Amino acid sequence: MTSTLDAPVSAAATRPLPKRRRQRNGPLIALLLGPSVVLITLFIVLPAVYSIYLSLTNTQLTGFAARDPQFVGLDNFAYLLTNGDFLNSLGQTATFTFFSAIIGQTVLGMVAAILLSRPWLRGKGLFGAAVLMPMIVPEVVASLAWASVLSNNSEGTLNRLTGLFGADPTDWLQVVPLTSIIIVNIWRGVAFAMIMFQAALEDVPAELIEAARIDGASALQVFRHVTLPLIRGPVFLYLLLTTISTVGVFGLVYFLTQGGPGGQTRIAAIYIYERALQFSQIGIGSAASIILLVIVLILGIVYVRLAKVEV
Amino acid sequence: MATVTAPTVPTGASRKPPKPRRRPLSTLDKVQRTLGYVLIGLLAIFCLVPFAWVVLSAVDANAGPNVQLPAPSFENFIQFFTNRGTPLLLVNSLIISVTATAINLALGLAGGYALARFRFRGRRAFMFGILLIRVVPAPATIVALYLIMVNIGLSNSLIGLIIVEAAFQLPVTLWLLAGTISAVPIELEEAAWMDGNSRLQAIWRIVLPLVGPGLGAAAMLSFMNVWGDFLTPLVLLQSTELYPLSIGLFRAFSEYNQVDWGLLAASAIVYLVPPAVLYIFVRKHLLRSSLGGAVKG
Repeated sequence: MTSTLDAPVSAAATRPLPKRRRQRNGPLIALLLGPSVVLITLFIVLPAVYSIYLSLTNTQLTGFAARDPQFVGLDNFAYLLTNGDFLNSLGQTATFTFFSAIIGQTVLGMVAAILLSRPWLRGKGLFGAAVLMPMIVPEVVASLAWASVLSNNSEGTLNRLTGLFGADPTDWLQVVPLTSIIIVNIWRGVAFAMIMFQAALEDVPAELIEAARIDGASALQVFRHVTLPLIRGPVFLYLLLTTISTVGVFGLVYFLTQGGPGGQTRIAAIYIYERALQFSQIGIGSAASIILLVIVLILGIVYVRLAKVEV
Repeated sequence: MATVTAPTVPTGASRKPPKPRRRPLSTLDKVQRTLGYVLIGLLAIFCLVPFAWVVLSAVDANAGPNVQLPAPSFENFIQFFTNRGTPLLLVNSLIISVTATAINLALGLAGGYALARFRFRGRRAFMFGILLIRVVPAPATIVALYLIMVNIGLSNSLIGLIIVEAAFQLPVTLWLLAGTISAVPIELEEAAWMDGNSRLQAIWRIVLPLVGPGLGAAAMLSFMNVWGDFLTPLVLLQSTELYPLSIGLFRAFSEYNQVDWGLLAASAIVYLVPPAVLYIFVRKHLLRSSLGGAVKG
């Protein structure tokens, strides 16, 4: 037994998979993979399919229509696509995603990745750990931490900071709610961008950078004309991935604003939750889910295509 | 694993560069380095400052909603563990996360083995399917999921939540373990079969010991995601005595008039320690893996 265990594993990764076995393994495959397929189907695929059905009905949790849901065709979609609240909510989702994920996280993540890849930088471990903290804590803790930063109180952390410059205390979550949650989400996502970009930067040959520097290019020029073109692929994939996951952000925003004030931070995820589970309009909530799902699936398919995934 | 092919190197830059020389630092270099330290320092402060309130208030006997110098005491933690209710939040969180992770790993290992070792119809489609499922945002399916759980009588129960959480983490686990298992040479298993082991015995004795790192990463990802989940328990659980820490903290925070800030901060610390410790353990593995993205909410 032990002799087989001692065999080197390092060479394993390069070995091609066996292509031969196709003989009567059906029952064994079913036994091994079956339970996973059942769970995924029942709790991920079925809800998605069921949402499609629900979106075509006027199902309610309570009230008159709860007893006898009717098929209403595309009425829910027609309602949503002409409904100011929903269109606003889509717009807020887009703004939230664009400024927090595509601009904020990407720029700060890139800055962090580049600086941490400098050979002269001391204390990489500490800086890296600091940037990672916001990502590894649960989202409820992240929200709680920011609740104290953004507190309307004159003693709130941010108000004290702006107070140093003589500004009056502000109720950040009331006055600039969308900007506030965008900053919170940037804070939470910098680490993810940093990790992705660090991996990409490692693949850039150091000789290229060195050569450009010796030819007299400034650091910025090197980044713009050598590094960036080389990591364009991974960066684009990161942008898709972060867009997809940012569209699904719920807890961070719900904890801080619950969609308010006056629906100014009612991003799509909160709109769905409100409609379906608080106003119990399951049909309309489901139709909104389907619209969100279609957007995300299109992005996802593009991602899988471009990532050239091997299975 | 999502491999990314880098674009080809632009021509002209490909000629052999001279050997790097040691130059004395120019003024420009010094400025750039100072600027670098300032930038990374500011970023670190931006990332850490929001935690100040949580950390300071947890050890403050008279904590309030704002950052203040603490009157150091462990009163809040003692309260957390002796109060009625709060220890139950921790117990529920542990039950949910540990059980869901265990189920998820057992199923993921079996399924991952099938995906790694057999070529069958629909395998490719299934692999792409589980990759694509990862992009489905939880808020988009939660409504229908809630109705399904109500209909099969599993809403407002820990068992229902555990099964759902295990299922949510399965695509990532399957993907990760299928990759890890295919890296184990089939010859090792074949040797074990020759020695008279059954297929399952060979899996137990040969494959399992060799996929340790992959299994560890899958376990950590799964545990962290379940532990941190807020939306699913929020929707599926209604009884206070079933709440995990995430919901308990949210409810405690929402009671505007009578928030016990010190207790809240201490609960937050208790809540963030397990994922933080786990992350430190498996960090190296994660940074290398393109599935690192799975940690993100």
